[in-house]
Amino acid sequence: MKILFQVARADFRESVRAKWFFIYNLVFGGAIILLFALGITESRVLGFTGLSRLLITYIQLCVAILPILILISTVRSVVGDRESNVLEYFLSMPISLAAYFWGKVVSKFILVFVPIFFALILAIIWGAIKGLFIPWNIIGYYSLLLGTLSWCFLGIGMLISSVVKRQEWGLGLSILIWLILLLFIDAILIGLMMQHKIIESVIVGVALLNPMMAFRTGAVLLFDPELTAIGPASWVILDALGFKGFLAFTVTYPFLLGWFFAGLGYFRFKRGDLF
Amino acid sequence: MINIKNLTKKFGKTVILDQLNLEIKKGERIALVGQNGAGKTTLIRVLLGHYLHDGDVSVFGLDPRNKRIEVLDRIGFVPQLPPPIQMTVEELTAFSAGTSQKSSRKKIQEYADNLGLDIIKNGKKTFQKLSGGMKQKLLIALALAREPDILIMDEPAANLDPQGRQAFLLYLMEKMKDTTMLLSSHRVDEVLSLITRIVELDFGRIVQDEQVEIGEAAGQMLDCQITFSSPNDATGRVMESWHFQPMNGNKLEYKGQFLGADKLRFMTELSHFANNIIKLSIN
Repeated sequence: MKILFQVARADFRESVRAKWFFIYNLVFGGAIILLFALGITESRVLGFTGLSRLLITYIQLCVAILPILILISTVRSVVGDRESNVLEYFLSMPISLAAYFWGKVVSKFILVFVPIFFALILAIIWGAIKGLFIPWNIIGYYSLLLGTLSWCFLGIGMLISSVVKRQEWGLGLSILIWLILLLFIDAILIGLMMQHKIIESVIVGVALLNPMMAFRTGAVLLFDPELTAIGPASWVILDALGFKGFLAFTVTYPFLLGWFFAGLGYFRFKRGDLF
Repeated sequence: MINIKNLTKKFGKTVILDQLNLEIKKGERIALVGQNGAGKTTLIRVLLGHYLHDGDVSVFGLDPRNKRIEVLDRIGFVPQLPPPIQMTVEELTAFSAGTSQKSSRKKIQEYADNLGLDIIKNGKKTFQKLSGGMKQKLLIALALAREPDILIMDEPAANLDPQGRQAFLLYLMEKMKDTTMLLSSHRVDEVLSLITRIVELDFGRIVQDEQVEIGEAAGQMLDCQITFSSPNDATGRVMESWHFQPMNGNKLEYKGQFLGADKLRFMTELSHFANNIIKLSIN
């Protein structure tokens, strides 16, 4: 365990100095500042205004860009070290493969989650200064949602990083997976449903399995409990799981999925040649 | 200490190591030589537990893949090309010291000092910003500080200047008499004075395996005087790199010392100016 945290600390320090981390912070910190500056707290959507309005916009933004940013920034973890021979050097030290792999996972999770969480904190502070109502339940749920979203895509990123032999392949595969997940949200699945080409339960099943869909619906569920603004697959899922069940699903499923993919990545990393 | 029986390693259909058998006893110092692609690096990676393989490999009686922590805690490894590590010198030192009970920051600092690298002064620099020689010195110091029973080095002194090289070889000769060494090198002359055995690989097979008589003077500093027939910038630079001093205020006569283990390397460098040397004495 000591070595695992040592690997995590070393990776964290290295990454903090990297340009991608600076840009990543700039995107999410900048997004909150920009949303305030654009006066989004003054506007109204679905009856929501103030900080709640800002948060719903922020979370939508995160759902759209966070997965790809996480994939791009984590997919290099193992394959990048492998290509540059850093992996060969560090794994010639008495470090277990588990400590190395999970140390990287811990570090990357902190790196991707903390900036977006701090952006939320920044919004609260700014909102408090402006005298806006602070919706703690929304903030709590969104923190959880962003945490599980980060974890889920981090798991996918680590799996890709363990499987591919070249960074370019990893980046290409990340973009492809992100696009596929985007395609299989129910706004697009509705087309198939309307054409009656695929049976409804399959479409609902696909939507249910898509973590991007879970985030998308989770992001608006608190504001729009009937999911009137979302596609038909979500209504069916909502009908089956209920409001609280769906809320629990949107955070539990991606969390488990993240563990599954990261575990699969570790298994792949451990069982083959290390380079 | 190291037992290899029928070791075969393939990448796809390409055979890199082919039914290799090798036994290495405690205290042996082996030069692993061969052309590029002969299988030297692959063999080293198998010993470090990085590759799966066919055949039996045991290090200290253990499988290096399944018992990697126990095995690697007793092995020091110095790669040929320093990897592009983004940590600072301080961070890397702390990291390496933290991975082994036998290592410590103080020890690493002492070993680095002996090799001519000031870790405190360079502590805030990222490893990447160090010169090639400084990187190599640090990696050697990190490996030696773990007091390894087996030292594996890929082109061990390739990036070192003569001073760092002398300190490094002298240290290995004096302090690590009982340490088993596996030195991978393209050139035998680079490590000849240090080794007790040569193992040559070609196309994944051992084509030569011979014992080497170690020179008595290998661990001693030798006095040397050279007289050149005419002053020359190139000879001046070579002499300066070996820390030789000009005598009588001219650049025709030089005096200095080098390590016995470096004799062949020194003579090889001087051989470029053979026509210009009129007197050479080594004691």
